[in-house]
Amino acid sequence: MSQEAAVVAKPKRFSLDTWAVLLAFTLAALVRAGVFKHIPW
Amino acid sequence: MASSVAIVQVRPANPALQFLKLMPGVLLLAGVGYAGKLLEVNVGKYAKAHHWTFPNIEYVLWAILLGLLISNTVGVPEIFRAGVATYEFWLKAGIVLLGARFLLGDVLKLGGTSLALVAIEIIGAIAFMTFLGRVFKLKPKLTSLLAVGSAVCGVSAIIATQGAIDADEEDSSFAIAAILALGALSLFTFPLIGHSLHLTDHAYGVWSGLAVDNTAEAAAAGALYSDAAGKLAVLTKTTRNALIGFVVLAYAFYWASRGQAQAVGNKAKFLWQKFPKFVLGFLLISTLATFAFFSKEQIGALANLSRWAFLLTFAGVGLRTNFRTLSKQGLKPFLVGAIGEVAIAGFTLGLVLAAQRIFGW
Repeated sequence: MSQEAAVVAKPKRFSLDTWAVLLAFTLAALVRAGVFKHIPW
Repeated sequence: MASSVAIVQVRPANPALQFLKLMPGVLLLAGVGYAGKLLEVNVGKYAKAHHWTFPNIEYVLWAILLGLLISNTVGVPEIFRAGVATYEFWLKAGIVLLGARFLLGDVLKLGGTSLALVAIEIIGAIAFMTFLGRVFKLKPKLTSLLAVGSAVCGVSAIIATQGAIDADEEDSSFAIAAILALGALSLFTFPLIGHSLHLTDHAYGVWSGLAVDNTAEAAAAGALYSDAAGKLAVLTKTTRNALIGFVVLAYAFYWASRGQAQAVGNKAKFLWQKFPKFVLGFLLISTLATFAFFSKEQIGALANLSRWAFLLTFAGVGLRTNFRTLSKQGLKPFLVGAIGEVAIAGFTLGLVLAAQRIFGW
């Protein structure tokens, strides 16, 4: 019996877009919670 | 004889290691962006102290120029490349955070006007690029990629369409190179045209969002004019981005009907996969800001976080633009792209001037 191995890349759970949205929401939540009170520019 | 197939799943590299690999490039983006900010303040001060007449150059242009200087002289060493490529990630996070500066009513009002202009722009751009592709006898799929890139949203649209219509990677890299080279040129030409025509921030911002193809360059071209123009450029460009799924779906149907691409199965799933999720994030943050979820100070903090994210993006625009690499991609697609872009810029300028008169921008 021959055995072939097919290599399949594990699909990514989130796209780049989704990660960017998650980061932005996390930052917004931290600002809302008062962890970041003032962000200088 | 029976044979069995073992499916081996390749696990991605250790996430901590991948994160560490990005760090040098991200630090380079931050360093170049911050140097741009320091140059804006200090060059102006120095010129004033020495009574020189020197134009006030915004941090946006300094960051892009510094990035271009590095990329086109010493080059970006391999160790930095993965991190520099994250500039689009910062752009998208910045756009979501920018939502805090828009009330939902304004988004719907501006977005509604933009949507009408965007629809006209997309139809006009696709028709004209398809015509140019035929005149210059470009490969039909390359023409499709150039049309989508110039009509909707640059690189992301080209990559999405390449997969949907089974186009060659080579065609895709031609189209991307043409769009990027023309985007880099627009950074220098758009503000000059805007100032010479005395466009208002509103009109200029909408024009940049309509005519500049890649989102990072559209945001930069707007910000080079003024902060308000930058906001409107991002909003208009985001409206364009939101339509990416529909345009790619139409092209996928077209090429599938000619037997040169796989048929689309579940249309709703296809549209959701292609839909840029950051548009939803932008709308959600804008909704929260509208319903006073954030205080005035918190909105100020979110706006500044958005500016920092854009700072990394603008540095990335310069760092990833290498004119020598772009010039190697062939003259014909670039020529078609250039003629098309000039025509689209003129056409959208006409649209914006008409809208300015109608809506009193």
